[in-house]
Parts: sequence; C-alpha cells; structure tokens
Amino acid sequence: MSIAQPVAASEECLAQAHLRTLDQCHKGETLCIEALVEQPEFGDGDASVSMRLKELGFLPGARLTILGYGFLGRDPLSVKIAGTKFALRRREASKLLVSTVEASA
Amino acid sequence: MSTSALRFALVGNPNCGKTSLFNHLTGARAKVANYPGVTVERRAGMVTDIDAPVELMDLPGTYSLHVSSLDEKVARDMILGQMAGEAPPDVLVAVVDATNLRLGLRLVLELEQLGRPMMLAINQMDAARRRGIEIDTAGLQEALGIPVIETIALRKPGSAQLRATIAEAAHRFKEQRAKVISDDEAVRKESVEAVYDRIETLLDAHVRMPAEQTNWQDALDRVVMHPVAGLAILFTVLLTIFQAVFAWASPVVDLIDGGFGIMGDLVATYMPDGILKDFVVDGLIAGVGGVLVFLPQIVILFFFILLLEDSGYLTRAAFLLDRPMRGVGLSGRSFIPLLSSFACAVPGIMSTRTVPDPRERMITIMVAPLMTCSARLPVYTLIIAAFIPEEKVLGFFNLQGLTLFGLYLAGIVSAAAAAWVLRLRHIREEFPLLLELPSFRWPSPYHLLIGLRERIWIFLRRVGTVILALSVLLWALASFPAAPVDAVRPAIEYSFAGQLGALMQPLFAPMGFNWQMCVALIPAMAAREVAVSALATVYAVGAASSELALGQALGVSWELPVALAYLAWFVYAPQCLATIAVVRRETNSNTATAFFTVYLFALAYLAAMATYQIASLFL
Repeated sequence: MSIAQPVAASEECLAQAHLRTLDQCHKGETLCIEALVEQPEFGDGDASVSMRLKELGFLPGARLTILGYGFLGRDPLSVKIAGTKFALRRREASKLLVSTVEASA
Repeated sequence: MSTSALRFALVGNPNCGKTSLFNHLTGARAKVANYPGVTVERRAGMVTDIDAPVELMDLPGTYSLHVSSLDEKVARDMILGQMAGEAPPDVLVAVVDATNLRLGLRLVLELEQLGRPMMLAINQMDAARRRGIEIDTAGLQEALGIPVIETIALRKPGSAQLRATIAEAAHRFKEQRAKVISDDEAVRKESVEAVYDRIETLLDAHVRMPAEQTNWQDALDRVVMHPVAGLAILFTVLLTIFQAVFAWASPVVDLIDGGFGIMGDLVATYMPDGILKDFVVDGLIAGVGGVLVFLPQIVILFFFILLLEDSGYLTRAAFLLDRPMRGVGLSGRSFIPLLSSFACAVPGIMSTRTVPDPRERMITIMVAPLMTCSARLPVYTLIIAAFIPEEKVLGFFNLQGLTLFGLYLAGIVSAAAAAWVLRLRHIREEFPLLLELPSFRWPSPYHLLIGLRERIWIFLRRVGTVILALSVLLWALASFPAAPVDAVRPAIEYSFAGQLGALMQPLFAPMGFNWQMCVALIPAMAAREVAVSALATVYAVGAASSELALGQALGVSWELPVALAYLAWFVYAPQCLATIAVVRRETNSNTATAFFTVYLFALAYLAAMATYQIASLFL
C-alpha cells in the first residue's frame, strides 16, 4: 500500500502522486488501472484475488468507470470495464491503483 | 448412455447462454438434475437430429480453470476428466457471449492450451449485431485454428450450424477417446497479461466494435441499482410475487379442487360400498387431490424465479443486498441460493456451491431451509384459508396474502438471526465479491417454458410416487384395525394412526397439537406438502359427513392458537428428509448435519410452543 502514499518529486513520481486506489474514487469517474497492489486483509488469499481480478480484465492499462454503489456505506461498487459490468467491494477496489483519465476522450 | 457415444461438453462463462444452446441441441430432452435455475448438477443429453451418437454435457459456468468456488471446480474437474465416475469429454464446445468477447476469449485461450479438440460458438450474435459489433468469424477461425460458429441461442435455427459442426467433429474424432489431463499438464504456461495481449491482437484484427455509448441497459441499471430506488423496486417485486402466488392461483386451485370433489362424488355414487370404495375416495382421491391443488402456486413461484434469473435481474439484487447481508455474515452471493430456497431448499443448498467462502457457504446451507419453500405453501394456504378471514387491508392488500407474507418474513428474519449467531462461532476472514453483472436480456418464452415444464414434471412425479404411496400407507394406517362393533368414539381413533398420534400427542401438548396434527407430521418428513393430504385422509376417514371440505373440517376442530402454532412449527421444522440428505451430501459432515437437524427441530418446538401459549392469552 506504500505506493499509494504521495512520494517525492522526481519526474516519474509526479505522475504517481495522482494515483489513488479505486475505493478512494467517486461515482462517474473514469479511471485507468496502473497497478494491482497487495491488500493484507485478504491474507494468504491475496494472490488469488489478484489473479481473479486480472482474469476478469482488471489489468494495468484497462479503463473503467464507476457506475454506482450498493445500499449501505457506498459498498459494493459497480464498475464498467471494457463494456462489462462488475460488482466489487471496497476491499477489492483497494487493490487497484488507478489514475484519472482526462474527460477529453 | 451408450458407451459408443462421443462426449461433448459445453464450457463457458456464466450467462453466456450455454444452457439455451444445450436445450436446442438436445431438443430439451435432457436428463436434468432435478433443480431450477443454476446449472450446479450434471445436465446431459443426446444431441438430436445428427447422424452420430453424441452425448452433450452442460457444465457450470466458469471464468477460469484457476477456480474460486466449488461450482467452478466441478466445471474444471469435468473438463480435465478428473471427476470421479465421469469419462473426460472428447470434444469441448466453448461458448462465448458475442457482446462480451474479451472475457469469454480469455477462458477459450486457456482451454486451448489443454490440447483437447475444441470448437467455439460465438453466441448472442443477434444482440451483438444490434449493438453494431461486427465479427469476422472466418478470420477468427483461421487465427485460432478451431471451428468458429455464430449462434443465436434464443432461436432454434440459431444453433443449426453448431449442430452441423458437432456432427462433423463426431465423425472426425470417432476413433479417438479423450484422456484425463493431470494438474501438472493443466498448469498455465502463459501469464494473464500475455493472454490478454493475444486477445487484443485478435480483436483488433477480426472484430469491429463501435465506440462505447450509454444505452437503455445503463439507464435501467441506474434505476434498479440505485441504493434507495433499487431497493424499493426489489421489495415491490418480491411482494408482487407473493401476492401473485396467492391471488392468481386461486381460480385454478378452485378448479382443480372442484374437479377432485366431483370425481370423489362420482366414485362414491357409482362404486359399491366397501373397503375398495373407501380406499379410492378417502385414500387416493383425497390424498393426491389435496396436494395436486397446489400445483398452480408452485408453477407461479418457479415462473417468477426463472424469469428474474434469466433476465439478469437477480445479480442486481445480489449487488444491492451485499452490504446488508454482510451484517449477518453472508454476502450478496448467498442471495441467489437463498432466493432459490423459496422454491425448494434442495436446489438452493446445491447452488451454494457458487459461494466461494466456505464459512459463508456453511452458514447459507444452515439457514436456507428457513426460507419458505413451495412445499410449505400447501400447508400455509390450507390453514390460512381456513382461519384468516378474506378481508382487504388498506383497500389493496388481501389479509390472507399479508399473513402469507408475514410467514415468509418470519422465515427471513429467523434466517438472518440464525446466520448472525452462527457467524459468532467463526473468525472473520475476507473473501472477495467480484460479481459480473450480466446484460439485461428479454427472457425467452421457450426456455422459460422448458424450465417450468421440468418443475411441473418433477412435482407431478412426486405426486404420482412418493405422495401417492404415502397417501395409501396413511389411509391404511388410518383404516386398520377397524373399530370394534360397539365403538363409541370415531373409528379412526382405534386405528394404528390414531394410536400413533395418541403416542406422540403428549410431546406436542405444550403447543396444543391434537393427535391428528401429530399423525400428519410423520409423512410430512417425506415432503411437507404431504401434511395436507395426511390431514385430508385423517379427517376424511374420521369425518361424520364427508361433505365437509378439509378447510372447513379444520376450522371446526382446531382453535385459532393451535392453527397458528402449527404454522409456526412449519416455519422452522426441517420437515423434509431430502433437505437433510442434501445437507449431508453438500457439507460432507455428520456433525454439521446433526447440528442442522437438531437446531431446526428445537427452533420449531420453541416457536410453536411460544405461539400457542402467547396466542392463547389474547385470543
């Protein structure tokens, strides 16, 4: 998770300063996945969760849009990625490091 | 199945329309495991209208051979040939949804590495064309090196080409029999990233997709998945279903009821008096007819569940309810098994295989029978119709319908409470949700009818076998030995049934049950609805005048608190051996099964006793 912390300003890291995890983003935002990070709360299962996320298309470079939230606590999230809709919880979303896609596209 | 038949297996993501293709290819004459909705059991059938014997299997939907639920493990074991007692499939028929190619192709490329003969059906081509998606199937066929066929699962001609390709493959691989693939051979040789790179290359070369635009699907999702509006819609949908079960069915129920009444009268008039006449009128007609009248309600309930499942709505409901259900240790994934349990706990418990978290799966199994299954409907409706006045509440709701809804609610609330208590015994460990929300789809009347036909057939088969046999047995128990000539009390009290009921009655005295009610509980262990035919038989045999309909007979002989206590018993009691058997099979644990049985009987006993004692104070 350390990668999500703001880091010092080398040119490459400037871009990373804008990185958030998906659970920190808002409804309606379109985002680009930069990396999958570890989520200690999944314990030993973390690698499997990463694998399943990747298999479903949550890969670096993929774009997704947050469509909305479930009934309580803005959890789970519904997202649209490559035309397919998925529901995922905040905890899964916290494994996805994303950057903002400018609205110009 | 004939040993010479080649085995083909349909493999694909959930919701890609495999089962619809399967129905067309096998002419819907498949040998299907008994249960609705989800494909958790083995479905197999011979492919029709081709010149080679081909057995087709419909495997559970899966995203990957890297499994994350029992359901996916079944699919994987079948594909590899590792399933005990099952020969490996000779040819794989991969199915992908044309509107969701990326996800589907990923599984296809993974399957390709297994080296089994394979073909690819690109399904839902009609929907893809409507969205402006163009697919160069010839190009894909060349690039993948396997036959690629377009299909439209909703229409029968849409699978003609697939059938022809299957026939061709059946001839080509006639002499070849598949081998089991070991785990070592199935190990991945390519990273997910590399697979997706290949997919992007394939899609760039052979598929044209229009720029993504919001459509009616998204607009609909904004409403039905809205945290507040969506929940209101869900609640309305469920309430409508339960109202429909009660209101729509009643004309048909009356018709069937009337038919059996006339049949009984006719037989009573024309058959000579004697033991045979008693047997036909009080045993056969009263027993079987008493259960058959509930067919319309069961059909309506299954119709709605199939409709919601096929349309794609159920996963939205799972999404909305995920967070609230986590409050009691479940998740949105448990919603579909629990909803299926409203039809029958057996398929509900079997479909818990889609729940990845073993702890959550166990809790879901434990509470699933608290969902009011359709077999309880006959008991509920009989007693409600006899004891609850038919009044309108607030000008719209029918008081009987509301009572029924209340019983459903009691089951749901108890399930939530039980799940919450059971959760305390476990350490919390997180499993991911990751649920695909499939496109909304107009359910096809053809496939709905096939699904309903299966349900009706299973019910009728039960009426014709188990229920018929139990009716006969019960009639015999209730008729023999005959009362002595100088008997002062009704004849049935001298019978075996009467004696058995008298034996049980003290145990059930705290809830006010009379011996007839106790007798009816015994055959109800085979199937809950048999309680109705058992009561019909017991009261028909015992009745001074056989003109009294069962409901009226109960209304005369039971007090209201007793009737309510009987309802309470049926809310909780694990009154069905099939459910207990499936719990044993699915948990593979004697301890869990014993716990399941004891805790539900204890709840039933306490609830019925409390209901009787409290209701007696006020009524």
